Amino acid sequence: MRWTARTRTGIVCGAVAVVFTVFSARLVHLQVAKHDEYARLAAEKHTMRVVMHARRGLIFDRNGELLASNLPVRKVVADGSHIKNPRAVARIVAPIMELDEDEVARKLSSDRKYIVLGRQLPEDKGVELRNALDKANLRGVELEPDAVRIYPNGQMLGHVLGFLDHEGAGIQGIELTMEKSLCGSDGHRFIERDRTGREIMLYRGQEEPAEHGLNVRLTIDMGLQAILEEELDLAFHDLKPEMAVGILVDPSTGEILAMANRPCFDPNNKGVGKPEEMKNRAIIDMVEPGSTFKIVVASGALNEGKVKENTGIFCENGAFAYGGKVLHDHHPYGTMTTHEILVKSSNIGSAKMALMMGDTKYHEYVRRFGFGEKSGIELPGEIGGMVNPVRRWDKLTITRMAMGQSVSVTPLQMTMGMSVIANRGKLMLPQVVRSVEDSDGAVIVAKPPKVVREVIPRKVADYVSDALGGVVGEGGTAQLAKVAGFTVAGKTGTAQKISPKGGYAPGKYVVSFVGYLPEEDPRFVCLVMIDDPKIASSLAYGGLVAAPIFSRVGERAARHLDLVPTLRAQPSIPLALNPGANRKSAATP
Amino acid sequence: MSTNRRKQVNPVHLKTFVRCLLAVLLLASAGLFFVFIKNQQFALAEEIRQVERRIAGVRAQNDALLARVTELSSRRALQQKIAEGFIVMKPIQDNVIARLSPPATAAADGILRTAFVERARP
Repeated sequence: MRWTARTRTGIVCGAVAVVFTVFSARLVHLQVAKHDEYARLAAEKHTMRVVMHARRGLIFDRNGELLASNLPVRKVVADGSHIKNPRAVARIVAPIMELDEDEVARKLSSDRKYIVLGRQLPEDKGVELRNALDKANLRGVELEPDAVRIYPNGQMLGHVLGFLDHEGAGIQGIELTMEKSLCGSDGHRFIERDRTGREIMLYRGQEEPAEHGLNVRLTIDMGLQAILEEELDLAFHDLKPEMAVGILVDPSTGEILAMANRPCFDPNNKGVGKPEEMKNRAIIDMVEPGSTFKIVVASGALNEGKVKENTGIFCENGAFAYGGKVLHDHHPYGTMTTHEILVKSSNIGSAKMALMMGDTKYHEYVRRFGFGEKSGIELPGEIGGMVNPVRRWDKLTITRMAMGQSVSVTPLQMTMGMSVIANRGKLMLPQVVRSVEDSDGAVIVAKPPKVVREVIPRKVADYVSDALGGVVGEGGTAQLAKVAGFTVAGKTGTAQKISPKGGYAPGKYVVSFVGYLPEEDPRFVCLVMIDDPKIASSLAYGGLVAAPIFSRVGERAARHLDLVPTLRAQPSIPLALNPGANRKSAATP
Repeated sequence: MSTNRRKQVNPVHLKTFVRCLLAVLLLASAGLFFVFIKNQQFALAEEIRQVERRIAGVRAQNDALLARVTELSSRRALQQKIAEGFIVMKPIQDNVIARLSPPATAAADGILRTAFVERARP
């Protein structure tokens, strides 16, 4: 081969071509074959996923009064790798956040990328901190948006509303049961940061917006709630009971209009609340109902045809020996109709009606009224009460259960039981949530009233209702439950309190009154239950303690609801009382 | 000067030169324009980021104020103000109600004077 200039040129060009071909091949390999891998590595270095928090839904009462809201606050976090002078940053951050400067400086000296300096910094303090850092031209501290739940009415309705845990999830009350609707879902955004840690807006990546939580509208009427709570507060202050419960229900729909317990707590300061204050006793405590339970036996016996409206039942002149025990009435009575038995609250008459029905049939009616099972209200922790199956009854059970012993019910169950009579025989599903709405108020989920079952026919309910009207009338046990201008029907209950040691605690009673008005067209059923009022035991009767509270609540509630009076206005309450007529006496041998 | 020597002169092709120059200038200005646009984009993006931050701040402050207003106008706060005597609720006196028909009292006809009855009364 001749080593000519052309040959040399050809060799050099060839070599250069080979070198560039290799480079090109490597370039193609990096750009095409390794694209995903290097893109991921680059993204990991500069890109980060920022969470966009969803706003928790609000809770309103039925009239749009705000019950639970969100207060924006800031979470203060720092990126240690971006902080060159921890002491200077600490000097600004510490006084605004009311922290120890040395402690902050020590935390900031770390190289960690996510250091939480504090939570729940108020918005105005956040602005102050941001401005101070900007002015000093210091970087590395970020103020992440956050929120705390606030309950503007404090302890009012606290048991129903519940509260959140430290991570913002509902753990009590409506906050828990409606968690899925209220919480919404967080969104996210991929961003890139420059070397100073600031977002490069131009390279903002894929974004999924947050879906804010839906609002929940309750059936509660805060006007009625305030009335009920005020009256319970007075009773709790004056009578110093173990607990007091009040419930207002619309019998035609099953909607809970008000629900209150004492003692109570403020969900804004749940940390200081005691466990016993946080119990919603209206649904998680069970008590022996006492005479209020007599509506069940009267309804059952009438509906089964065991007694007629004018059937006379001999009440043994106050002492009835059965099953080796003697059952007493407070006063000796002779022969009485069902109407009179309810008005006078005769234990013996009720027991005899239950015996006429028989164990199985009576048990069936107890269950049909909703006792012994959870009512299905949208509140957590509800219990079903205790109604033993017939096979576990002894010979005395049926006579005791007829007057509200040997059975345990929740205050809500008792209220719904009375609602059956007020609603002319139909048991409604108790509801505390009316609807779920979006932020514009459009209804997403409506909760219409639901009939659980027809417990008794209208005719029977009307008869029992008429008798319950007599309970509040002359000679009845609840004359103090009268409400001026309105016909009232209801039933008192005075039950001996069960002792933890077994048997009944001497001198301790659970007194109650559950009634409704106007009797002709009931607009609400109200239960007032006081556990162990600290008064003389000769005065501890449902008709003397709970009935006056009902009367005050009923009068104010009627005004609030603007009900048309159905009676001529009369001067007030007669003083001649027959208070002891409905007290349960423990069976004596 | 011989003819051969004249033949060896390389003439400047002005037309081609200008064309090349224009092409270079065009490419250079395109590059500069690209850089300028890119800078503009970054500047605008930064401005948007600042505005977004301000909007978020204002919205948060607004929410905080709304929460404060809710708290101050809540039933509890109003009841507390009534209890402290800061505000007073007085029932409307009969002599300040303008009636189109003579007033009736409960004692006269036994009907309580609720707002509903008053509205419904002829």
